[in-house]
Amino acid sequence: MERLLLTKKKTIRVNEDTWIVLFEERIDFSPGQFVMLETPKLVRKPFVLGYWEDHTAISVQVKGKGTKWIVEEAEKIKGHGPLGNGFEKPGKGLLIISPTCLTMAEALRKKMNVDVLVGSRTPFQIPLEHETAVGDEEFLRKLSSTGEYDWYLVSGSRGMEKVCWEHLRGKEVYFSLEEYMGCGIGACKSCAVFTKEGVKHVCTDGPIFRGDELCWS
Amino acid sequence: MLELKPPLVLLSGPAGFGEYLKLMDHRYVGGVLLKTVTLHPKEGNPTPRMADSDFYVINRIGLENPGIHAFVENVPELPVPMIASLGGDSFEEYLEVARVFKKVADRFHAVEFNFSCPNVKEGGLSIVKNAEEWKKLLNTLRKELPDSFLIAKVGVEGIFVEDAAEFVMKTGWDGITLVNTVRGLHFEKDTMILGGLSGPVLKPIALRAVYEVKKRFPELFVIASGGVYSVKDAEEFLKVGADVIGVGSALFKDPGVVEEIGKYLLEVKR
Ligand SMILES: Cc1cc2nc3c(=O)[nH]c(=O)nc-3n(C[C@H](O)[C@H](O)[C@H](O)COP(=O)(O)O)c2cc1C
Ligand code: FES
Repeated sequence: MERLLLTKKKTIRVNEDTWIVLFEERIDFSPGQFVMLETPKLVRKPFVLGYWEDHTAISVQVKGKGTKWIVEEAEKIKGHGPLGNGFEKPGKGLLIISPTCLTMAEALRKKMNVDVLVGSRTPFQIPLEHETAVGDEEFLRKLSSTGEYDWYLVSGSRGMEKVCWEHLRGKEVYFSLEEYMGCGIGACKSCAVFTKEGVKHVCTDGPIFRGDELCWS
Repeated sequence: MLELKPPLVLLSGPAGFGEYLKLMDHRYVGGVLLKTVTLHPKEGNPTPRMADSDFYVINRIGLENPGIHAFVENVPELPVPMIASLGGDSFEEYLEVARVFKKVADRFHAVEFNFSCPNVKEGGLSIVKNAEEWKKLLNTLRKELPDSFLIAKVGVEGIFVEDAAEFVMKTGWDGITLVNTVRGLHFEKDTMILGGLSGPVLKPIALRAVYEVKKRFPELFVIASGGVYSVKDAEEFLKVGADVIGVGSALFKDPGVVEEIGKYLLEVKR
């Protein structure tokens, strides 16, 4: 884990509210790991690491002042990382993701044999080489017609996680979880996730968990 | 006396069990106040457990911790002085926690007792509400840990800080940490978070608390806790008499600020 100072190189708009942010600096990380980045808000926010156009990159969904600042104003961004555990699996996998995980998908593709399905609520503004689905209906249709994979990794909204868990029952499914994070390093205990083995923490035990480890009520 | 160089601590909770030290030059950290440990392990509250706004951080972690037995078996090894933080849900639990802690007391520069966590049902805040009972507890804990530098952490709810400080002095304790978080309510979309406020909103409250206590009891050792985000904040707490500057929520924004404040304190408090 390092203290980081990242220089924004450029931003690319993916859909209505999501941007890819490219950095000048290289970071040595494993796919699945994340960084905590500083914004004008009081608490740093987590962003999953990945690549775009051969640069270290994150995807940012603009939700409020902090994320807007990263996309529109920031030049240099302070942070710390890489954090959390990387993910690596043999066999062929399917990534089911929201647009905020496009850069992570690039990182996974470099190391693993994976197909990608990207579900978005609003139309895409850039061409993508992946299977895409706009809106719930198309997403469900495409989810039903995917072939068989050795494993699945879902990273998107709670709604997307639930739908996929029901749909892929009995299969080896992993989830990259989101929870509010204060520190990203196991100090503050804000990112609790209740698992069958008791409380775990997204930042240090995750962010990726096996579906059957989680309590789904 | 508790001599910390610089007189700066990372506060209980945000500092965890010292994880942030990996991001800092240790020369600028006087000590770490570890996360509060209770008699029994605690799982903590449901999520969301924290939120932030422009002026405050709110948390309802609910004292998630491994419990005192696991803690004494596995005391952290940190490169800077450690202060333990102990809590309980009742008179008996505070006493029992102190008894178990005794075995490892010599590994710590001081012990803070948390009498002000707003996020647990019993103990915490409610213990100070009954002044006589609390005084009895302070006396009992003092006898139980005769050789430790004892610090009471109190907030501004349930008791006036001046009164709390007087009890702390009279029962032979060594110091007081002012203040803990103040109970607040925050809406995160439609979810209500009932938790403790920390961060910038707490600074004027903490400054006043330190000021009032130091005016009455200049000899009482005071750790300042509330809204320190910059060298200027630290300077203000020194002006009202704080002996040690505590940094908590600011770690979540920029752990780098600790080095700036530490450097400043090394200079003015040589
Ligand atoms: C996430 C979080 C967890 C906390 N946990 C504890 C704790 O376990 N014990 C304690 O005495 N204070 C705890 N506190 C209170 C802090 O130690 C500190 O008193 C308070 O946050 C005010 O300082 P600040 O404004 O610098 O954060 C916690 C605060 C936060 C934000
Ligand atoms: S974000 Fe602080 S413990 Fe996970």
